[in-house]
Amino acid sequence: MIWIGDVLVSRGEGGVYNERMLGDARVWDPYRSKLAALYHAGNGIGLESSQRVLYLGAANGTTVSHVADYVEVVYAVEFAPRPMQDLIEVARRRKNVIPIMADATCPESYLSVVEPVDLVYQDVAQPDQAAIAIRNSVFLRAGGSVILMLKTRSVDVRKDPVVVFDETLTALEKAGFSCQESVWLAPYHQDHAAIVCTKPAARGE
Amino acid sequence: MQSYWFGDVTDGRCQPFTGDRGALVSRILLLSARTDINAIPDWQVAVSCGFCQDRAEYLARLQDVCIAAAERCVKEQYSGKDAELLQMVRTLDEIDTVINLLSERATDWYMVRHPAFSRKYRRIPAHALIRTMQEKSRGALGKVAGEIAQLGETRTALAKEVSARANEVMPNTSALIGGLVAARLMAHAGGLQPLCRLPASAIQVLGARTALFAHLRTRTPSPKHGIIFQHRRVHNAPRDIRGKVARVLAGKLAIAARIDHFRGSADPEFLAKAQEQIDSAGKGGEA
Repeated sequence: MIWIGDVLVSRGEGGVYNERMLGDARVWDPYRSKLAALYHAGNGIGLESSQRVLYLGAANGTTVSHVADYVEVVYAVEFAPRPMQDLIEVARRRKNVIPIMADATCPESYLSVVEPVDLVYQDVAQPDQAAIAIRNSVFLRAGGSVILMLKTRSVDVRKDPVVVFDETLTALEKAGFSCQESVWLAPYHQDHAAIVCTKPAARGE
Repeated sequence: MQSYWFGDVTDGRCQPFTGDRGALVSRILLLSARTDINAIPDWQVAVSCGFCQDRAEYLARLQDVCIAAAERCVKEQYSGKDAELLQMVRTLDEIDTVINLLSERATDWYMVRHPAFSRKYRRIPAHALIRTMQEKSRGALGKVAGEIAQLGETRTALAKEVSARANEVMPNTSALIGGLVAARLMAHAGGLQPLCRLPASAIQVLGARTALFAHLRTRTPSPKHGIIFQHRRVHNAPRDIRGKVARVLAGKLAIAARIDHFRGSADPEFLAKAQEQIDSAGKGGEA
């Protein structure tokens, strides 16, 4: 990851969302992007130029554009038409962003398009976030990682965020992931936690 | 046979897809609906297949076709007749908010200029007050009042359009509860399809989100009605049977929304019967 002092940046064409520039580097604001918050609050998974990423819940493509600055290719899945229009515009300007209009809860619908990836990044406002990560891990190569941004309020507003967090962690470990890091994203984002897991080298696949 | 976006592989032999961009887009959309696919593409297969020269070309072609496919999906999503109605309703409700905010502020301003002025004990309708302010005030305040009046006219015209469009897009729901309220229900659900998938119990409390979540979180009583309170049978009903009327109405609305979505035309027989049941519930009878 590229840091200028204590500011996280990425190098690429600016002006995507009027982000601040430091020379030719685009400032990656932790208050706007949960992934940037993870790199500030914890370790996360370092992004490298050889990586292929599956990005679930791409939204307007702001965080996508930063990830694309670091890695080889980003498969960006988004379901809603309005943000998709913005995402398409980002893809037109960046060679390595591949927009897919599909529902992340059914990865079957983009099975014929997405290749095996090194990292699955998930930021979706759905109740069954662990299940979505598990289903999408078919794209994950053995030894690859999942970064799950848990919106605890989307899972169940009635439940204590800590309980939701524990349940998600248990579900992921039960599915064979080994979770190496879990951090709350406060003060950058309230009631959001990041979970970083790796998929063990395959046995029966 | 294994199907990938770039071609089909049968017994280890690969047949690259040769159609043009539009055909490739159609292929991807077709493949996305199929359930028998269980293999993930490998760019090297695409190269050995003769579909492309190298990885760079693989990604470039994939991106090109994915952008086109996404564009087509967006277009399809917006082609439904409810897509525009949704924006119209939301605009209407937002204009209301703006008019209220501006009127309140302008009144406060006007009262500073005219310390003797008060609305108390004077039955001046809001629009008449705005007109007075427009005529009596010089400078920016007069202009602001003029804008509010103008906005009011736009609102009236828009409300008419919403109502007419709702009658056309959702004839059954509109017949039961009126075009404007029907359109609001649809906007709250996020579209006609999401609305018709809601259970009646959810339709009953659409628009009562704060009350509903307060109920779920704490022990406050559950809301009896949301937007459908605007129907005369609900708000005219005596308090003790209001919940019941709302429930019956919501049940009929759920059915009406489904007819609207899947058939798209008015069903007089259903409407007559539903109307009768709602009326009898409103009179305190059995539904």
